[in-house]
Amino acid sequence: MAEQLVVEHLTKVYERGDILALDDVSFSVEKGEFLVVIGLSGSGKSTLLRCINRLVEPTEGKIYFDGVDVTAASGAELRRLRRKMGMIYQQFNLVKRSSVLTNVLAGRLGYVNPWRSLLHRFPPEDIEMALKNLERVGIRDQAYKRADELSGGQQQRVGIARALMQEPELLMADEPVSALDPATSHSVMKYLEQMNREDGVTVIASLHFLSLARRYGTRILALKDGKIVFEGLPDEIDEAKFKEIYGEEAEQVEVR
Amino acid sequence: MAKRPSKSKSVKILSRWEALRPRFLAFMLDWISWGYVAYGTMYLLNYYWYTNIHYYGRLTVPEWGWPIVILGTLELTVASHAFGHSLGQSMFGLRLLTESYTLPSLRQRWQRFLGWHLSLIAFPVTIWNSTQQNRMLHDRLSGTQMYVVKEIKDVMPLIPPRAWYKTNRGVMTVILIGVTVWVGWLTTKINLGILIDRAEESGYLWKALLTPDFTHFIVPDPELHTSILSGIIESIFMAFLATLLGGIIAFPLSFLGARNIMGFSPLGWLVYGFMRGVFNVIRSIESLLWGIIFAIWVRFGPFAGVLALTIHTIAALGKLYSEQVEGVDPGPLEAIAATGARRWQVILYGVVPQIIPSYLAFTLYRWDINVRMATVIALVGGGGIGRILFYYKGQVGRLPNAWNQVGAVVFTIAVVVWALDYISGRVREKIV
Repeated sequence: MAEQLVVEHLTKVYERGDILALDDVSFSVEKGEFLVVIGLSGSGKSTLLRCINRLVEPTEGKIYFDGVDVTAASGAELRRLRRKMGMIYQQFNLVKRSSVLTNVLAGRLGYVNPWRSLLHRFPPEDIEMALKNLERVGIRDQAYKRADELSGGQQQRVGIARALMQEPELLMADEPVSALDPATSHSVMKYLEQMNREDGVTVIASLHFLSLARRYGTRILALKDGKIVFEGLPDEIDEAKFKEIYGEEAEQVEVR
Repeated sequence: MAKRPSKSKSVKILSRWEALRPRFLAFMLDWISWGYVAYGTMYLLNYYWYTNIHYYGRLTVPEWGWPIVILGTLELTVASHAFGHSLGQSMFGLRLLTESYTLPSLRQRWQRFLGWHLSLIAFPVTIWNSTQQNRMLHDRLSGTQMYVVKEIKDVMPLIPPRAWYKTNRGVMTVILIGVTVWVGWLTTKINLGILIDRAEESGYLWKALLTPDFTHFIVPDPELHTSILSGIIESIFMAFLATLLGGIIAFPLSFLGARNIMGFSPLGWLVYGFMRGVFNVIRSIESLLWGIIFAIWVRFGPFAGVLALTIHTIAALGKLYSEQVEGVDPGPLEAIAATGARRWQVILYGVVPQIIPSYLAFTLYRWDINVRMATVIALVGGGGIGRILFYYKGQVGRLPNAWNQVGAVVFTIAVVVWALDYISGRVREKIV
């Protein structure tokens, strides 16, 4: 299998606060993988994901997506690259006052004719696609509600539908279930798994709970203080590794 | 290679600049405060003592007096610094503590105050080198240290707070407010006596105003060729047009004045700074002053008033709008940018839906202000009901019922302003 994403010596220093968020991180992801990134809060998980689609500007290092240098892209090329990378977020990042449908259609902005988007006029096939994606995540009946009228789990599913609109090759999920209860967490994770298995979308998800990481991940990457401290299969994380990643005082918490 | 800052969370070591900057600023603020107290003292001496004895003239500081004033305030400043918790110190995040992070004793404070002179005479250069690692003479003598709050974040919660009147800062604040009120009272010539003495003599005015004469409410005044009703309608339309035009123009400009939209390139920062500057300058010139300019430019009349109100509205709304844009939730913007959208698409789909309600609310609020302003803009030739108001006021002495006519105009303005205020308030409640 081909390597879809290659990250080489990625370093990020936040000038404000002089924080070294990522320290010489290198790894690669193959097509169709479900990579889970774990680590404590502040270990650099979010920064890593945001560097991949350049929401955060890397300080150093290279990122290649399908062989194209993401770090060197700009303007139209960067937008084309971003189009292929869907992303969902811990806080869902929906426009709360817009309708669910508008939020989902926003995922299509990289594709549509910009003049039509100026007037909020999306092509009928895009609207159809949006409704189909909402159907897929089981909230077709909520399409015309305002986004903030939905529950947390439903909002995250809107986020997934928005990412689906991009017809992504890579889906990044930044702690997608941290704001959700355990039952809802699993339903959201299952949609990610479904996209991964059925559509062959590569998934990179950062997660808090090791139990979720073990259940869904095909491979695990652990970050600590911006460095990779573990890279391997879920089963390879034993008690000692766990303590190394999460610190001596940590206890494993099971999320069912 | 990028620099690799340490991630340790222990006591923060400050650079020379970080350590000296707040100390310099705190010192200057305290010095200025004492200088202000000296000015107030001078003013009061003049008012109560000098003019009463000499009857005319002013008490001036002789040439040899200036060094005394400067040195005196300097001494007071040093004293407030040595005693700790002065206004400047708390403003710029400094705390005077002992080496073991406790509050210094009175003895130590005196030692610091006196020792300061010693280190100033002996080693003035050491100020430049003074940090936590490299302490000055008076610090060593008294065993105290001026800490920057952020370097001792961990021990701060352990320091017991003091009642405000026991701190240097609290006492200084009271002194500053006291001097300001006292001197201000005298400069603005506040005279409660005359307010009560002449109350009866102005009684006829109240009587006239409270028995308004509505003869020309609908029937036009033959000399003025207009009625109160058409005057107030003119004012309402002026306010309406000014708000609408101002809002429409301010809307696109507000994005240029928002940091989170423009702050991505040097050119963007330039536009942002320029836009904010323009908003601030225009806003600081009152509508009435703009009225003077436009009354000359386009001649007297409601058009001048509309222009004056519009330009002030653009600046005022522009600033309020910009702040709304800066206050939007950045999450959705990030998400939309990540889909591969263009920058303007991010604004249209991410920012605009978030700001529309507050834009409407602010515009309505501005409409209230403009209605009130449109009733008096005639003072400088801007048209509207104010023209009638000032006309009747000018007829006092010529027309026996001039004050009653004024009363009618004032009554009409009050009713209309109140009604529009109420309506826009209700609408705003619905929106937000």
